[in-house]
Amino acid sequence: MQSRQWITGALAGVAMVLGISGASAADVPLYHDKGFWSQQFQVVGDAAGEKTGVRIVQNSYAPPEQYKAFVQSSIASGSPPDLFTWWTGQTMNELVATGQVAPLDDVWEKLVASGEYDQSTQDLFKVDGKTYAVPFSVARWVVLYNKKMFADQGLSEPKTWEELMAAADKLKAAGITPFNATVQEGWRGFIWFSELMIRTDPEAYKGLFNGTVAYDSPAVEKVFQLWSDMYAKGYFTDPRSNEEPQDFARGKAAMYLIGEWGEGLVDAAGLKPDADFGAFIMPNMDPKLPSAVVVEAGPMVVSVAGKEKPDIMTALNFWTSVDGANVWSKASGNFIGNTKADAPNPTVAKISADMKTNNTVAMQRWWEAVPPDLQGELVAELNGFLLNPTMDNAKMIMGRMQALNADYWEAKQ
Amino acid sequence: MAIALDRHNYDAIARAEATRRKGGWIVLGVALLVSLVWLAPFYYLIVSAFKSSTEYAAGHPLALPQGLSPIVDNAIRVWTDAKLGWGLVNSALYGLVGASVAVFVAAMAAFGLTRLDFSGRTFWFMLIFSGTVFPFQMYLIPLFFTYQQIGLLNTRAGMILFYCAICVPFPVLVLRNFMAGLNREMDEAARMDGANDWRVFFSIVLPNAKGPMLALFLLQFTWIWNDLLFSTVLGNTPEIRSVMNALQVFQGAYTSAGPNIAMTGALMASIPTVLLFFILRRHFMAGLSVSA
Amino acid sequence: MSALSESDQKLLERIGTDRIAMRERKTRRRNFATALLFMAPALLLVCGMLLYPVLFNIWLSFTDWRKFKGLDTFVGFQNYKRLFGQIYFAEAAFNTMIWVVASLVVPVILGLGIAILLRGVRFENAFKNLIFLPRVLAPTAVGVIWFYVYAPTGLLNYLLSLVTGETVSVGWLYQANTVTPAIIATHVWQTVGIVMVLLLLGLSAVPRDPVEAAQMDGAKPWQTYFHVILPILTPTLVVVTIISVLAGFTAFDLLWVMGSTYPSQRTLSLVVFMYFEAFQKGGWAFGGAIAVVIGVLVLLVTWIQALLQARAERMVR
Repeated sequence: MQSRQWITGALAGVAMVLGISGASAADVPLYHDKGFWSQQFQVVGDAAGEKTGVRIVQNSYAPPEQYKAFVQSSIASGSPPDLFTWWTGQTMNELVATGQVAPLDDVWEKLVASGEYDQSTQDLFKVDGKTYAVPFSVARWVVLYNKKMFADQGLSEPKTWEELMAAADKLKAAGITPFNATVQEGWRGFIWFSELMIRTDPEAYKGLFNGTVAYDSPAVEKVFQLWSDMYAKGYFTDPRSNEEPQDFARGKAAMYLIGEWGEGLVDAAGLKPDADFGAFIMPNMDPKLPSAVVVEAGPMVVSVAGKEKPDIMTALNFWTSVDGANVWSKASGNFIGNTKADAPNPTVAKISADMKTNNTVAMQRWWEAVPPDLQGELVAELNGFLLNPTMDNAKMIMGRMQALNADYWEAKQ
Repeated sequence: MAIALDRHNYDAIARAEATRRKGGWIVLGVALLVSLVWLAPFYYLIVSAFKSSTEYAAGHPLALPQGLSPIVDNAIRVWTDAKLGWGLVNSALYGLVGASVAVFVAAMAAFGLTRLDFSGRTFWFMLIFSGTVFPFQMYLIPLFFTYQQIGLLNTRAGMILFYCAICVPFPVLVLRNFMAGLNREMDEAARMDGANDWRVFFSIVLPNAKGPMLALFLLQFTWIWNDLLFSTVLGNTPEIRSVMNALQVFQGAYTSAGPNIAMTGALMASIPTVLLFFILRRHFMAGLSVSA
Repeated sequence: MSALSESDQKLLERIGTDRIAMRERKTRRRNFATALLFMAPALLLVCGMLLYPVLFNIWLSFTDWRKFKGLDTFVGFQNYKRLFGQIYFAEAAFNTMIWVVASLVVPVILGLGIAILLRGVRFENAFKNLIFLPRVLAPTAVGVIWFYVYAPTGLLNYLLSLVTGETVSVGWLYQANTVTPAIIATHVWQTVGIVMVLLLLGLSAVPRDPVEAAQMDGAKPWQTYFHVILPILTPTLVVVTIISVLAGFTAFDLLWVMGSTYPSQRTLSLVVFMYFEAFQKGGWAFGGAIAVVIGVLVLLVTWIQALLQARAERMVR
């Protein structure tokens, strides 16, 4: 008798543990792979619950490749999540081609008409004339600089490439490493490569993505030479650190090239925006080139089935609203392009102003622009360069990158 | 069953030889040197877990911690950031249910294979045992996709179901050998008394197979606890993921936690099986000789 | 069938062989039904969760399944052809071979060496337990610890700095020429203990007579080892070989955890390569083909070892 009771109890316990936690009807799951923003996403989710009665529940996946695999297989089996984050560029094109994510042009019509969002923000999420996402972040890639270090050396924000290099030399002479760059998380290798490409030859940069410019062409070799020389001069920090934002906050380097979303991480590590660090757009090497900056857009997409669910759309509307954008920017330091919402920090406002005065054009980030099939392998090769930044190694890497690139475009034809 | 390393005749002779032959102190010195190499990582693990991040960065790796309290902060960070608590609970659940169901299912199959006469027993055994022939990698993609389709991906039920299955074939092999060696006259006697097959299984064969079943349970529990590959692929949300997966996500490049915190995580993830090992050492060793 | 039981004997006398055979068939049929019931859960689990995926995997490796589509397109051996032209495949296969050979040879030699060294030494059991201790930890935890041992500011570089007197900051896990040996060393650290215990188990089976006889005949210690003990140890060595080689082919945990910062992590082994191709790039069919290649290699090795084992057993008898 007693043992039977025990078994019943155990079974009930097992059933409870096995059961997927009883989600209430008004909970909307949001799937993403940004583990470092889990809590921040949930803050917005809870605010949505209070305001609209529809609570967003964040579900984080790690690592990113597992997340991609999860979404890919769920789409292949015809049951994608209702609401999830993705990437723009070619990764987005592939997703749209499956026909399982919904166009959100009707949503955007209202967003732009209300004056909260610019048309240019909508354009970031367009594929073949239709808009398929709302932003969870719109981040420019800028150089953060340590104001105290700059002031100590009598430096101001560099306006030209020569000024930037002169500043680097001066910092180096004072025993400060000028630039912070690592291979943390395995995807950062492209950051300086693509920035140097844009600063030297933006047309060749664009050509990398449609197979017309080879990874062993002179334009690329020039960049590797420049990059390798900078390494030889000791301009960069140890690439093997796993604490990139913290390193910058601790003063291991004076400048840090990163997306604006990184400001929140630096802030959390103890260096305050505006007071302790500022930001500028890296100047072009050739002053005749138009001012340009990499814009990274983080898209949140809705499945075709999700579009039909009122709760999902309520959640989405809260997300893009001034309230939603404010909660999110306060929690994570992210700007989503809502111009009526508060700027998450003064440096974001400053960059926006700079862009206006210089007529700065937006460039696509290498990560989004490169064919997804090449992404992982090419960035691994670039990481290999950071770890061994000699020209000999660069030549080998360029060869391997081009072999992969050529293979890909050949198979395309 | 247990390996009594010091009780074999041969060892006794060897020891007698050794005292005669070897320069005792030199050998002892070499042995000490070897054990230093073996000890150093453990020492490193323990002292690091007791350091705060700044303390770790400031001192050299072998320095003794200044106090004992940082481990609490480290543990809290592991607990909240990596959700290691969920991991520990999940892995305990997967291990307990998975291993016990698997060993029980295996015992049933072994009973069918050894205590009942029918033709083609080898075929049925080989069919079950063939589950161990293929490398695990061959299961990954199909399981991932099938789980996704039937809604088992990232559920505890799905994890347990898989662990039950993967842990069946090996215990079948061991228990088949064991049960084949048990005296069958007990069965016949029970049957004479009117017991049916289930009764024979439950009250005669199972009680007799307790020893190897416990050893197998421990082996399979440890296997499930230690598994990284399948929990990485089949259960990847923070609430579902196993302890090793949580640890890996934490250490890898994806969170910039310092070495002191990641190593605290490693320590916490190891404690349960290490304790289990020391408490049930004899049964583990039995399992070891069984698996050899 | 063994000898007939007494009751069967009597029955035989009474009714003759035909009836017995019939009765026997009937019992066997009934027995089979019962046995099937007993085996059913195991069969369901194994067939549904293990054998079906293997078949599915073989089939999908002949399709064009990538990312979101193509599971219904049959492409023959195209994935396999692509595999051998892939620039990372050869490197991954080569590293797998190194891993298999090294993770077999080094622990056996070291394990044997340590077993012999420790025999008869003071505190013998304490030493043995210590050597065995890493085995108790999960490979993932071991990987985490050693990741930091090998870190640029980790334990190993610190010790080297002490020895050389200058700052050493080698990125052991970042460089192509050190990453595989470093991970193998960690693997050895963890597995020598179990290999040693298995060998000691084998040694304990060595009968005392031949050893003593050999010693009486004035054999030197090494002669005793080679001519008397080693042959008797052969079956144990074969078992250790099987375990190590299979583990070597499918090793994942250490490579995944410790290799996470190595840029070309995908080339560390075929298993990691497969993981990247399937789960990072969405090349399900291509990844499936790699899994089949691993499967064929493992089956081949198992088969060769089964032959060796049979021979070894004959040798001992």
